[in-house]
Amino acid sequence: MNATMLPMIERGLALIGALVVGVTTTIQLKNDWKSVGIDNAVTKLLLGLMAFGCVLVLLAVFGVLGG
Amino acid sequence: MATTTVVPGDAHDLDAVRARYENVDHAYHEQRDNRLLGILLFLVSDVILFTMFIFAYIYLRNSVPNWPPIVEGGHQLPRFDVNFAAFNSIVLFGSGATMHFAMESWKHLNRPAFFRWLIATIVLGIGFLAGQAYEYSSLAISWAGSTMGATFFTLTGMHGFHVFAGVVFLCILGFQARAGVYTESKYFGLTAGTLYWHFVDVIWVALFFLFYLW
Repeated sequence: MNATMLPMIERGLALIGALVVGVTTTIQLKNDWKSVGIDNAVTKLLLGLMAFGCVLVLLAVFGVLGG
Repeated sequence: MATTTVVPGDAHDLDAVRARYENVDHAYHEQRDNRLLGILLFLVSDVILFTMFIFAYIYLRNSVPNWPPIVEGGHQLPRFDVNFAAFNSIVLFGSGATMHFAMESWKHLNRPAFFRWLIATIVLGIGFLAGQAYEYSSLAISWAGSTMGATFFTLTGMHGFHVFAGVVFLCILGFQARAGVYTESKYFGLTAGTLYWHFVDVIWVALFFLFYLW
């Protein structure tokens, strides 16, 4: 495997993973949106930030950030 | 906790039993709230710890004219590999999603699914640590010699230790769940584990942005 293929594979896997995890996390966040209690509130906040992390990964994959 | 004596045949048996169990429930919720406060305070203290190191990094980064810094010999250090970091980040974020599924499975009384998702979380956590070890071994910089290396290894190393502690935490939770420590209504340990694991994920969001994207 040459040096140019490895980054492409990493970016491809990161892209697929970011889409899957981002969509899954957003759906979970939507499902839990009406749950009450401080532990659920913290979980929702952390899920939201995790979805934001997936957006950052997508921006990195497309070269918008970190280029 | 107040106790109520129930006399068999008493017309108020049912009310007495109900009152007794309401007291038990009340006591449980109070204890749970205290433990929830405890884990939240722990997470807040960890946020403060990471925030201090992050501000130290930002300060050091802004105190030099070029970033990555120019070291002795006049050459500029290379940027970190964003492609591999993006892939490794998704491994960790994926583990957050699987942990959430594990918790949801427990709440819906689906024990086999809970154990499957928990094991997936542990495997992904170990995968992230392996990825970090690989990245450390392939880097051209070291802890000593530059502020870039010192801040990078300190912050990501501290985060890696938290992930390692989280993996151990999840393994213990898995064994406890298997041993019947948690029930369908009393599972605060699992809630604490989930909160801790999500927290570890979110800290990585900040580190990923600061070291690889900024």
